[in-house]
Amino acid sequence: MTTYKDGVRSSHPYKEPTSLPDSIPKVQELGTTSAPLKSAAFFLGAYCKEYNEDFMLCKQENRDPAHCLKEGRRVTRCATDLITKMRENCLQQFDEHWECLENNNQEYYLCRKPERTLNKCMFEKLGLTKTIPGAPKGKPPIHEVEKPIFKAIQK
Amino acid sequence: MPVPWEALIPIGLVTVMFGTAGTLIKTSKQAQNQGKPVRYHVDAWDEMMMDRDQRLTGHKRGQRSDPVPPEGFETSSVWATEPRR
Repeated sequence: MTTYKDGVRSSHPYKEPTSLPDSIPKVQELGTTSAPLKSAAFFLGAYCKEYNEDFMLCKQENRDPAHCLKEGRRVTRCATDLITKMRENCLQQFDEHWECLENNNQEYYLCRKPERTLNKCMFEKLGLTKTIPGAPKGKPPIHEVEKPIFKAIQK
Repeated sequence: MPVPWEALIPIGLVTVMFGTAGTLIKTSKQAQNQGKPVRYHVDAWDEMMMDRDQRLTGHKRGQRSDPVPPEGFETSSVWATEPRR
């Protein structure tokens, strides 16, 4: 992703010369950065499942960006809604988890303790659980294993 | 037989030089990453997310959990100008 960009543009942020036409409804984009999004990822999967699946099936038909604008707006709105609810209800556990992720290369397996408190809070307040799709059914999922093999070196 | 203390001088010098160089490199890298450890195994997805973080916060390692983006975020993406993959 490091392509050549003109030196002229580097002193001020890029602004698109041609914005969307007014006929397309406007939606507020999600202003959350990568670590909080990674922390909320499985809850986004649980809460916004139908909209996400709609969008992915639409993209499978045609990868042109103009084709899936409506489904994309729905996904954005649902994600914004969930992040707002998470911050209202579980702000402290959420902040702890994503700060831990940010200090650990954004790997889940190094941050199980804050993750457990966040999962508990989310289940109590919003009724959402983290399920890993495609996990083998007989065994406990990796985030619930008590003594994992791959873990942080220090306790 | 007396201890060859002159031999310990270069050993000590080399240890101190290695140690100083390592510490300075670590401090420099942490300062570039806002005090956090360096990101490793960064793939194309992570690069794209870090570019997005830069558009949102001004630094590749900056993080914010506010769902409302800052002014100008919607039009600051250079995605459309890059060559098609």
